[in-house]
Amino acid sequence: MENTKLLISILFGSILVNNYVLSQFLGICPFLGVSKKLNQATGMGIAVIFVMLVATAVTWPIQKFILDQTGLEYMQTIIFILVIAALVQFTEIVLKKFIPALHKSLGVYLPLITTNCAVLGVTINNITDGYDFLQSIISSLGCGLGFLLAMVLFSGVRSRIDETRIPQYLRGLPVTLIAASFVSLAFFGFGGIVENLLK
Amino acid sequence: MNKYVKSIIALTAICAAVALLLSATNMLTAPIIEKNESAAANEALLVVMPEGEDFTLMDISSYTLPETVTEVYAESTGGYVVKLTTAGYSTGMVIMCGVDATGTVTGATCLASNETLGAEKTYGEKTVGKTVADIDTVDTVASMTKTTEAYRNAVKDALNAAVILGGGSVDLRSEEEILKDNLSAVLPAAEGAFTPWFMVEELEGVSAVYVADNGSGVVFRKGEEFVLDEALSAVVVGSKTEEMDTSAYELHSSVTKVEKSSGGNYVVEIKASGFGINGDKYYDPSGEPILLRASVTPAGKIIACETLQQSETEGIGSACADPSFYTQFNGKDETNYKEIDAISGATLTTNGYKTAVGRIFETVKILEGVA
Amino acid sequence: MQKNSNLSVLVKGLLLENPVFVLVLGTCPTLATTQTVIGAFAMGLAAMAVLICSNVVISLLRKVIPDTVRIPCYIVIIAGFVTIVQMFMHAYLPELYDLLGVYLALITVNCIILGRAEMFASKNSVARSALDGVGMGLGFTLALLSMAVIREVFGAGSFAGIAIPFIKDHTIDILTQAPGGLLVYGLLIFAVTALTHGKAPKKKSFGCEGCPSAGNCMSCTGKEEN
Repeated sequence: MENTKLLISILFGSILVNNYVLSQFLGICPFLGVSKKLNQATGMGIAVIFVMLVATAVTWPIQKFILDQTGLEYMQTIIFILVIAALVQFTEIVLKKFIPALHKSLGVYLPLITTNCAVLGVTINNITDGYDFLQSIISSLGCGLGFLLAMVLFSGVRSRIDETRIPQYLRGLPVTLIAASFVSLAFFGFGGIVENLLK
Repeated sequence: MNKYVKSIIALTAICAAVALLLSATNMLTAPIIEKNESAAANEALLVVMPEGEDFTLMDISSYTLPETVTEVYAESTGGYVVKLTTAGYSTGMVIMCGVDATGTVTGATCLASNETLGAEKTYGEKTVGKTVADIDTVDTVASMTKTTEAYRNAVKDALNAAVILGGGSVDLRSEEEILKDNLSAVLPAAEGAFTPWFMVEELEGVSAVYVADNGSGVVFRKGEEFVLDEALSAVVVGSKTEEMDTSAYELHSSVTKVEKSSGGNYVVEIKASGFGINGDKYYDPSGEPILLRASVTPAGKIIACETLQQSETEGIGSACADPSFYTQFNGKDETNYKEIDAISGATLTTNGYKTAVGRIFETVKILEGVA
Repeated sequence: MQKNSNLSVLVKGLLLENPVFVLVLGTCPTLATTQTVIGAFAMGLAAMAVLICSNVVISLLRKVIPDTVRIPCYIVIIAGFVTIVQMFMHAYLPELYDLLGVYLALITVNCIILGRAEMFASKNSVARSALDGVGMGLGFTLALLSMAVIREVFGAGSFAGIAIPFIKDHTIDILTQAPGGLLVYGLLIFAVTALTHGKAPKKKSFGCEGCPSAGNCMSCTGKEEN
């Protein structure tokens, strides 16, 4: 029971309170770059969730059973980023071959994920926070869902921005960032909710 | 194909070179990092054990330690630094306590807490120099009892942990658990569920009675022994009390209820004045009065006495709800009931209690028609 | 602009091709580590060290690395230097190491570094690549510092941890939080765009291919420019 509670709090904590994009600033590049259209935002979000889950499922055992055992903890960053890059390539090949329809909709986002710092960030954070395997998977799922949520919400905001007249130098990135700031402010309201829900 | 092989060779070579470079850097920096970290960790440990040197984190998984213990560092001269997590008014109070080789507290400090009153910040100093034998004599801080009591218990746990780690054994059971274990040993059929029975009948040599919740029997405490006794059980099971109509008598206004048992004894419920009220008044303007009851023989001898409710100062007068206080009245009569130990620091509470007990004797006399 | 002078290689990163405000690369650390001036300074220097080292090494190896596996090679080299910087910081500056936390490891995926490797170091001499690393690193550090100064002075009422009288009693707390970071960043880009208007280069021509969002990123494709 306690364990379930903990898992739920990890899940909702990483979706709402510690949202990777809006409060930890991980994965800001794709957040700003690919959130222009709702379908793009959703595609990217789903691809990120998938890669995060697979990457965690692979990197956690590597850390626990290889790096920790051999005293090679300092290889963490290199191994993790290589694993993520390889996974992304592999996923793309597999999708292309076996599920072409899915590849058609998600394929374009996959290469962009390699250097998405949210993916590397979540795998490293899971280790730093001392999560066990299940907790790590749940935390990755939460971070991925949080990323998707932020992307989808923000694409809605941006479609409204496009319809407004904006001063010349504010056009483009500056106004996008300022809008992101307000969305982030909205997520502020979630602070404390998760802890109190489970009290 | 040649190109393919070349790519792989290049990538592998670069990986190998980087790995080599990293392991070289690691060899250079790892000792410094380790030194820094152990220095930082030792600094915290030295606060609670100033004389200590060279601490190592122990693997405590093979010991049964008090539940509050989270980490133990062994010190080279035979002492231990114990890290504990406990709860005062709120959870998450982390305490570090040093215990030297002789089992004496060398220091205790609070690393983290969510307490509001701040008593945990300095309380640790009071425990310095204490051992398992006299740790209970450290006073809690008035109005911050919960925090300081939790703190003291944590230090006690640290002392016990040191004994266990040193190869000794400690009874980690709480008083309640010990009682439960004793009762279960005598009457396993009760499956550990007992309710104390308020003694309304005189039972020779019995100091307490516990009735099994599932009706499988009754356990009597005689001195230090727990026994079954069929004859006495029949008395307990057959005993009934009935509320009396006292409107015909002029009882003191503090008496709230009188019952009569099938054995002819009286059970009198009465209010007592608490702290701040002296003399005749029985109420406490600052809160609820003390409520107590006693079973008394028609001849005026108390069989049993207990405090039902109180709102005295936490940590001082509240001791009137402690069995060690009210059971002192058991077996007393009008001539000697004042010869009990007062609650330290709470003379007024004690006096109010005694006055109420005195009124119980008067009540019984009126009811018996001898007043 | 004297395209070939070494000086211009050095100074272009400061404003005209500032990696943060003009090229809009490496946004994550920009936002995350600029709560305090000290954190921003440490992050800037750490990234600069990695940038210079990786630029030099990649430039040295530019003839050896096969084209097909160049990106994985760059990533390995960069991750290697990041780990080295991490280890040295952990050993000699443990407080800064704790302050930067996971963001130190995430320099690996900072698009500035991969971007410069791909666009500059792989095509230029060692000396010029080193200069480019210094220039871009300084530009990154300066950008972080300017963000951090605004956020710490007005958000926390202090500068590098030293409280400033008067302002410390009238702080705008939200600036030190996530929304404040995004807001200050947006306003600073606005300011820089206004300052450099007409002179800022077409973003297309700079290190975007290594950026995760290349292709979709509006600042890389120039689609937003209309």
